[in-house]
Amino acid sequence: MLIETPDAGLFDELFDENNRVRPHCRMLENWLLESDENLIAEKRREADVLFQRLGITFNVYGEDQGADRLIPFDLIPRIISASDWHKLQAGLRQRVTALNRFLHDIYHSYEIVKAGVISAEQVFANSQYQPGMQNLKLPRNLYSHIAGIDLIRNNDGDFYVLEDNLRCPSGVSYMLENRRMMMRLFPELFAHSPVAPVEHYPNLLGETLRAASLKANPTVVVLTPGRFNSAYFEHAFLARQMGVELVEGADLFVHQNRVYMKTTVGPQQVDVIYRRVDDDFLDPLAGNPSSMLGVPGLYAAYRTGNVVLANAMGTGIADDKSIYPYVPDMIRFYLSEEPILKNVPTWQCRKKKDLQYVLDHLPELVVKEAQGAGGYGMLIGPKASKKELETFRGLLKAHPEDYIAQPTLSLSTCPTFVDEGVAPRHLDLRPFVLSGKKIQMVPGGLTRVALKKGSLVVNSSQGGGTKDTWVLEDDLC
Amino acid sequence: MLSRAASSLFWMARYLERAESQARQLDVSLNMALIDVPEDRTEQLSVPLLVSGTYDEFFEHHEEITPRNLIDFLLLDDQHPASVFNYIRNARDNALHVRGNLSADVWETINRAWLDLKVLQQEGVTESNASSVFDWIRERSHMFRGAAYGTLLRNDAFHFLRLGTIIERADTTARVLDIRHVMATRAMEEQATQSFFEWTALLNSLAAFEAYQNTYGHSLDPTSVAELLILSHELPRSLHSCLEEIAGLLDRVESGSAQRARRMASSLYANIRFGDTDYIEERGLHDYLVDFLARIQRIAGQIQKDYMGWHQ
Repeated sequence: MLIETPDAGLFDELFDENNRVRPHCRMLENWLLESDENLIAEKRREADVLFQRLGITFNVYGEDQGADRLIPFDLIPRIISASDWHKLQAGLRQRVTALNRFLHDIYHSYEIVKAGVISAEQVFANSQYQPGMQNLKLPRNLYSHIAGIDLIRNNDGDFYVLEDNLRCPSGVSYMLENRRMMMRLFPELFAHSPVAPVEHYPNLLGETLRAASLKANPTVVVLTPGRFNSAYFEHAFLARQMGVELVEGADLFVHQNRVYMKTTVGPQQVDVIYRRVDDDFLDPLAGNPSSMLGVPGLYAAYRTGNVVLANAMGTGIADDKSIYPYVPDMIRFYLSEEPILKNVPTWQCRKKKDLQYVLDHLPELVVKEAQGAGGYGMLIGPKASKKELETFRGLLKAHPEDYIAQPTLSLSTCPTFVDEGVAPRHLDLRPFVLSGKKIQMVPGGLTRVALKKGSLVVNSSQGGGTKDTWVLEDDLC
Repeated sequence: MLSRAASSLFWMARYLERAESQARQLDVSLNMALIDVPEDRTEQLSVPLLVSGTYDEFFEHHEEITPRNLIDFLLLDDQHPASVFNYIRNARDNALHVRGNLSADVWETINRAWLDLKVLQQEGVTESNASSVFDWIRERSHMFRGAAYGTLLRNDAFHFLRLGTIIERADTTARVLDIRHVMATRAMEEQATQSFFEWTALLNSLAAFEAYQNTYGHSLDPTSVAELLILSHELPRSLHSCLEEIAGLLDRVESGSAQRARRMASSLYANIRFGDTDYIEERGLHDYLVDFLARIQRIAGQIQKDYMGWHQ
């Protein structure tokens, strides 16, 4: 089968700048060259049927309830060398440690604000800052037990952190199911390559959640908004894999500041809630009063220390796009280390000078809402029409504090099956970092790929697909 | 386990059993309609409507009972709750709700049934391929049971799932026996050949024909049929077997302080276990079955109060 080579000037995961296959990817190249197109097409159909059958689907908001959609799955794995992963792992560990320190700090002694690293306004006036978390003592001072860090590889070959997700990062089930699917469809590929396993993630997650409580044998549950949530499959999957109950708000109640679940034999106390419900919906008495997803009184029980939430309330402040530019400074401030992973240069439109620069260079930049997610409400300068540019100019002038801007980075590409054959498509990577008694992660993450030629938007809600992510145990293959 | 999960497992299994049973009723009735003289056809075809309690509702959608209309209404119509389509949809919806408590194998059999059924509905079912669709539904039901037996822990999740299956089954057996026993007895008085087919239809719609031959090995008679379907401890669809399992399951379920459903089931089981055909005949089969149906419904209601009451 023919493999389309990447455009010059882009970093490709398979080919180097001279269009030679990178040494750690030779086995993948051989496989692609040997593979017959019809067989691959058949395997792709098989994968679709299997995903549908397993119910690995997601709902898109606004579409019919129960209209299950598949996230397109690409059969060509993305390979990360052992040496790249070692660096990534060290960088992720460092970053998540600093972020947890930051969260503890801004809810306790505010050292970083006092030292003038971040302005008081940016922390305390941020809508994600939860004053109610002030001075609350959390076991092991942990706020973000589960973090999903979005990374891209730029054309200089380095990984850059695009976004820290410290609230309810999703996608880990796809990482696991993609691996399962690949092993099922192409067992021979695995027999000949030292791919590091990821299957123990639910084990590590269970360990992390139990370590979130200081009790010896805590009762852990997964709290889901319910079966119409786009990530419901993942919630059920993780609960089943960990052997804990999957609960909805209505399954829980609070009595004398303790949380109980309603079981067939009566109330049973819950110690740790892996919640996949946003802060504001967790407790109608404390947050959104019309929320049916939460548990009345949960916040009070949490503040009393009778239940642990993973992730903690108020972690949103640390993954806010307006805080993101300060993460390298946090690492220096709390750990006295130089950041291992790079940040994408970011202009904060709240700053006059930055705003001016952004307005002057709008066609070159990507503009994002500080609170946005899912690839909505963003402007990709180089691809935008005159009209779109004007619209954003207006938005930026009216509410500069709501926006940040970044240079258009060229996300790396990787060969991908598309209608035209095998062609390079842009991708990113979301590894999952677990913080318990220690920081743990499985070698890999969720690779998302933009299926449209030249597109940089990889979100599944915008038509992106996923790939299996292979971290090699050694690079000699 | 969670009360809501217990409730979803219970209903998931009830709906699947109901789908299987409905496929059997339809299969038998459509076959009988081919054999019957024209004037008796409507009566034959009305049995599945009577069993599912949708006789009146049927006429809100259709003017007369024909095989075509019956297939449309009871198999694939998504506009009223008593179609196989909606039973399987509800089962799958409950399965989704309780997915954290199901093994991957059980979930997949249900999810696949639902996916295939949607395709079937698109393609449509005709009188000539209806039988193969009934076969398919029965196979799905067997597969679900096999996956449940083969892969689930024998804990309360399994117990509540089985309770759903068996309570639904006891209910079906009593209803079918009540309706078809009358028809067969009447046919016997009128026409001997016809009555053979009527008794066969009764036994077939409860998957008990071979069991009858095996047990009695002689010509069909009303007392033996009733004895088999009510009192046999060997026939899996007899009221005796169902109650034995219900009482046993309720003994094994972690119960805390809730004991009412358990006592009610044990008491009904004892009645059947030590009952005999003389008593049933004295009481009258119809009255006996009406009483049984009322009691099994009370037990089902009490199970929900005792264990799933949180979720009401």
